[in-house]
Amino acid sequence: MSGQGLTGLSLWSRRLVAVGVLAWCLVTVFPLYWVVVTAFKTPPGVVGGPTYLPFIDFTPTLQPFIDLYQGIRGEFFRTFLNSTIVGLSAAAIATTIGAMAAYALVRFEFKVRLGAGFAFFLLALGGYLVFNNTLGFTRPQALLLAFPIALVVAIVANRLPLPGPILGNEDILFWFVSQRMFPPIVTAFALYLLYSEIGRLGFQLIDSYVGLTLCYVAFSLPIVVWLMRDFFEAVPIEVEEAAMVDNVPSWRIFFGIVVPMSMNGLLATFMITLAFVWNEFLFALFLTNSRWQTLPILVAGQNSQRGDEWWAISAAALVAIVPMMIMAGLLSRMMRSGLLLGAIK
Amino acid sequence: MMRNDPIKHVFIWPAVLVVLAISIFPLIYSLTTSFLSYRLIPPIPPRVVWLGNYAMLLQEPRFWNAIFTTTLIAFIAVGLQYAIGFSVALALNARVPGERLFRVALLLPMLLAPVAVALVARMMFNPTMGPLNQFLSLFGLVNLPFLTNGHWALACIIAVEVWQWTPFVILMMLAGLQTLPEDVYEAAELENASAWQQFWGITFPMLLPISAAVVFIRLIESYKIMDTVFVMTGGGPGVETETLTLFAYQEGFKKFNLGYTSALSFLFLIAITIIGVTYLALLRPHLEKRR
Repeated sequence: MSGQGLTGLSLWSRRLVAVGVLAWCLVTVFPLYWVVVTAFKTPPGVVGGPTYLPFIDFTPTLQPFIDLYQGIRGEFFRTFLNSTIVGLSAAAIATTIGAMAAYALVRFEFKVRLGAGFAFFLLALGGYLVFNNTLGFTRPQALLLAFPIALVVAIVANRLPLPGPILGNEDILFWFVSQRMFPPIVTAFALYLLYSEIGRLGFQLIDSYVGLTLCYVAFSLPIVVWLMRDFFEAVPIEVEEAAMVDNVPSWRIFFGIVVPMSMNGLLATFMITLAFVWNEFLFALFLTNSRWQTLPILVAGQNSQRGDEWWAISAAALVAIVPMMIMAGLLSRMMRSGLLLGAIK
Repeated sequence: MMRNDPIKHVFIWPAVLVVLAISIFPLIYSLTTSFLSYRLIPPIPPRVVWLGNYAMLLQEPRFWNAIFTTTLIAFIAVGLQYAIGFSVALALNARVPGERLFRVALLLPMLLAPVAVALVARMMFNPTMGPLNQFLSLFGLVNLPFLTNGHWALACIIAVEVWQWTPFVILMMLAGLQTLPEDVYEAAELENASAWQQFWGITFPMLLPISAAVVFIRLIESYKIMDTVFVMTGGGPGVETETLTLFAYQEGFKKFNLGYTSALSFLFLIAITIIGVTYLALLRPHLEKRR
């Protein structure tokens, strides 16, 4: 069906298909139109029943937005800023270290013994229990002690000729991606407990920039690694080989040649990550309470706080939606140039 | 060609460390907590109950209700997403008039915050002031209990899920369609195969791998549904639309019943794993046959 598939159909079926797509398009667009319109309505204009066309059905007003800016409905301006700061930095960090890992997985060979992986998990678990129960450390202390010990032992164990299968790059990639399969509630809840216990040791992570960003970086990494691997695989290896002949060090090959060549892919990945962080609700719900609250939390709160004040709720929803609308425009432009095709195989 | 250069460790370790720290830490932490009877309110010292929390959960009707609701939402929503998404992708790929314009609009919903989308949905489904009510009253259906009746509320949540995530299916299927080779269709054309036969004989089987991946991703993601339900119904009326994540949130964050919630999240993890493995096992013979 590629290209000209519909020619096999009669004129009428062609029209039917077009009408079907148009109908779905209307279903998609109408709710969006509705928020935009409602955000410019006055309270009586909303309560009086549905109206559709500005200037004909009702007189538009900017009042809902002025209310928002003045902070009548919660600190919108600061929350918007929070979302922007956390979103941009988490996306930037995740894209950077995720891209590095993806490149390593494409171009270098890794061998991990399954036994070493098991050793890590068992030691981390056992070490935690021993430190916590027998030696009387607090729970976060026990975790923080057990983790490096388990890691060091696992790295050493990886060099020993242990029996059992050896995992390669594909398996490491699968491990990264499988992190996305986890129900986030498992992590969110445990992370909340962990953060609050670390907080009791005097290092505040709940409702802090570091805590939230760190968590978002970790949760964006699987997508970044998965997407960037495909982009890097598309980079012709000859260029890198030529550079290697000239004894250019690997890190300069990466930052000087590979990164500029896959700039589009990096940009697309960055934007997808940003959208993910910007919209994320569950972690923000658990890990923030006032200072570093993000937009989704504030927007969700509009519902219960004030009842059905649709004009204000629409304005709030619009603030959360518009940046992503702009991004959708940019992304679809990149999509048209066939950029995202490489990401899906 | 694979290189071997010590610098590879510098490249890969930051990502591995961050993911390890943020995923393994909490895993160990909640695994151990799930064997304890541990509450913050009232603050009683934790007590080891081994599988007590799990046994209690498995006898709890609310837990089974949450599993059932989540499964219902996930399967119906993903089924509809796939059917609609694939159809729209086929149409777009066949150069329907106005296709360029559609693409931006069709991509939009999946980039929007589910929370905001749910708020918009509440407006649309408002039984007195909403546009949907006005539209349906043309057919004599006035003031339907969209979000206040259990069955209607479930249907509305599914509708919102379909609205938001069909674009993802469209995007992926479109990408898949564009990789199909032209010559197979030309051969089919010579054999006078109808468009219908071409679809079931060529397009569908060739896109089976990507379809499987898309449905898998959507299914797993749908099981995590929380924000939409949280805003639209809050799990109500009663607990009729309560999903697993929401149930865990209520238990953990409202009642601070830590051991119980940890056990719940582990059962959730086990359920997801079972579904994922079953899905892949069911599909494997079909995928391998095509190779």
